[in-house]
Amino acid sequence: MKRPWYNFIYVRSPIAKILLGGAALLLTLALFGFTFIIEEPRMEAQTNSWTGRSIEKGAEIFANNCTSCHGVDGKGLPGVAPALHSHYFFTQRLTDLGYAGSLHDYVAGTVAAGRPSKAISQWAQIMPTWGVNYGGPLRNDQVQDVTAFVMNWEQDALQQTAEEDPWQPFQDAKTTDISGTMALPPSAPADGEARAPQDLFTVMGCQGCHNLEQDQTADNRGAIAPNLGNLDTEAGNMVAGQDALTYVINSITHPNDFIVEGYAAGIMPQNFPDRMSAEEIANLAQWLLDQAAAN
Amino acid sequence: MAVQPEVEKKGFMSSVLGLVDDTFTRVTAGISPGEVRRMLRGEAPGRPNPRLKPHTEAFLLHIKPTYYHESVTRFTHTFRLGLLSTYLFLFETITGLILMVWYTPSPNQAYVDMIRLLSNVPFGQFMRDLHRIGAELMVAIVTLHMVRTYLTGSYKAPRQFTWFTGVILLVLTLFLSFSGYLLPWDQLAYWAVTIGTSMAEAVPPAIVGETVNLLARGAPDIGANGLLRFYLLHVLFLPLILFLFFFVHYYKVVHFGISLPANEEEVGQDTANRIPADRRVYFLPDVLMDETVFIIGFSAIMVLAVAFFFSAPLESIANPQSTPLHTVAPWYFYWLQGMLKIADKMIAGVILPGILLVLLIAIPYLDRNPSRRAKDRRVAIISGVIAGVVMIILSWMGTPQYAVSAAPAVEVVQELMPEEGAGAIREAGYAHVPVGVFDSRVPVEEQTTDEEWRAIVEEFSASIAHFDGIDPEFNNAWGTITVTQDQPSLRRILWEIHWVDSEGVEENFKRFFFLHEDSLYWEQYGLKDFRWLTETQEGE
Repeated sequence: MKRPWYNFIYVRSPIAKILLGGAALLLTLALFGFTFIIEEPRMEAQTNSWTGRSIEKGAEIFANNCTSCHGVDGKGLPGVAPALHSHYFFTQRLTDLGYAGSLHDYVAGTVAAGRPSKAISQWAQIMPTWGVNYGGPLRNDQVQDVTAFVMNWEQDALQQTAEEDPWQPFQDAKTTDISGTMALPPSAPADGEARAPQDLFTVMGCQGCHNLEQDQTADNRGAIAPNLGNLDTEAGNMVAGQDALTYVINSITHPNDFIVEGYAAGIMPQNFPDRMSAEEIANLAQWLLDQAAAN
Repeated sequence: MAVQPEVEKKGFMSSVLGLVDDTFTRVTAGISPGEVRRMLRGEAPGRPNPRLKPHTEAFLLHIKPTYYHESVTRFTHTFRLGLLSTYLFLFETITGLILMVWYTPSPNQAYVDMIRLLSNVPFGQFMRDLHRIGAELMVAIVTLHMVRTYLTGSYKAPRQFTWFTGVILLVLTLFLSFSGYLLPWDQLAYWAVTIGTSMAEAVPPAIVGETVNLLARGAPDIGANGLLRFYLLHVLFLPLILFLFFFVHYYKVVHFGISLPANEEEVGQDTANRIPADRRVYFLPDVLMDETVFIIGFSAIMVLAVAFFFSAPLESIANPQSTPLHTVAPWYFYWLQGMLKIADKMIAGVILPGILLVLLIAIPYLDRNPSRRAKDRRVAIISGVIAGVVMIILSWMGTPQYAVSAAPAVEVVQELMPEEGAGAIREAGYAHVPVGVFDSRVPVEEQTTDEEWRAIVEEFSASIAHFDGIDPEFNNAWGTITVTQDQPSLRRILWEIHWVDSEGVEENFKRFFFLHEDSLYWEQYGLKDFRWLTETQEGE
């Protein structure tokens, strides 16, 4: 019979076959051995990797949901929400609260279940319930991701000096005195130069409660405080005898003078005149009206 | 047997040797040590052939033929694809059983179990990769087995029913592979299976489709019930059915014999079972040795691939609320996805695959040509090749390269840092993503000295320029990548792309991702990255 050109691939000698099989078997065993040797470091790298990925996911959730109150760097916003990226938070907070579990559990629990009440604390907004078990939007694994992200500040926070610590004492809880704590939120800068209004809107925590993108209408009301999207058209009609600019300035300096129907008095901080100069407040009010008009 | 009289009669040594001989012969189910020696030397058997005994004594051998026609034992006749399919089924059963130990079919637990398997179980990732590569190879090999049978015309009389069972086995293999897809409960799995089962919904009339869909998913959307159902399909129901059809198929193969090369028999005749004495190749030892060596060799290649070139993917946990961009089916269903892009769901997802299946089963009855010789079967072979080419084109159309482009700015970012999976940046890793602002309009050399990062920024600029060139809505485009250190070991990568649309309006797109120092991302195929091996050692 004519032999095909690929005849050479046929192995006929039984010894050659046994040698081939034996070589393949040895290769397999060697590969098993190799896998076995690197198994310990591989498992360690995988463990770190999944922790890392969890932090990445938590960072994304934090950036999209938490920064408006807790600040982009987690250092809190005065009068809106406390700092998490804080030496005090990582060292003293649990002791002062008398919480028995770990800080990790405390953070996870607070994220999932929220804070029960704001009755006697100074924070303008209560911590919402985020966990799905408490009616919030986040699945349990997402709560764990956010917690992993918050806990990842530890290394950085522990290096803060007392002056750098952004922690503000809670009014409703015993707080260990740490000197340098911001007992009062930052006031006007010493050099007297006015700060930019868009920065003030963030630093003073306005954006935690007021939404500048959306209009305040009957069927689209801000949850805690009125939306400011149509401030330019509405502000002049609120209080008789006040034009738009006067009304906005007065609302910042004396928030309780006039409360929009449906909202509670005392939520908006009343110490803005101490924290901003008159010039800054006027600039801020004008900027708010300009922004609303540009919408 | 009384030991003492035996020893007294024959002497101690020969009694022991006799006992060893006896035990050996029992283990080999009837072949004496001397005969094994002769086998290994390649000597011919005596008459009557003592090597036939195991075929009657041993269960596993009694289902194998005692001898084959020499022509069909040549590797290039069958490529041993049927044997390989059987072996892979066994292989999947064993690795699957091991994986089941660490798996709970519940949405709350499944993904956590996958992470635990990868990070806390010795050989866990190895087993998972083996199971995955075995599954993909099984689909490929079963398909190739069918292609070989088609090309040699082996489906013709009297083997029509063997072909039918083979088609059923192919379908079962596809379903088996696909049902396993959901189990890791990650985004890749969830959306691929959501798309897959949504085709069942298109079965007419609506009431049937909805019911089938509801039965498969266990609810309008895949959830706890759907996962449990797919799990049971995967580990119990489908393997059992496949097992049954395998034995029917195998019985038919043995019963009719493997068809000879077409030019070795007369047209219209089937002489596979009439093997002249001088053309016989006995199962013991020749075929057994060939098969054993082949399977060991194949396993070695699989283990090699898993050790260095293949890792099963695991994306983020399944999220029914968010569909990742460019969701794809597993590669063996790309052709289906390709059809779905150009035709209605009912036509492309139900009617055409149904027709295809019926056509496959009917091939032996449609092809009345009695000849199995290639030169007599021009029509059959050409239409087979055309069908193959169409499948490949449809598969290409099933990949995200075809007809599903999102906005150019989204595509630019997706290419380098996809919503799910690795991408160039995550593969380069944290160490190669320096903090700073990188602008597509500035030459890369002035911005960074890191080689890998430079390549990425260059690709970013090139990709923007590419879309600028082809998309009339995307003009004067430029972009920046801003990397900031948000936390220790955590960097934020902010993508900004600016362009001017056809009406001269300036537009921009922003998207940010985070990257942690320790997170490892990997592609399914390609040389594995062992950087962590040196990094962890340096860290200690």
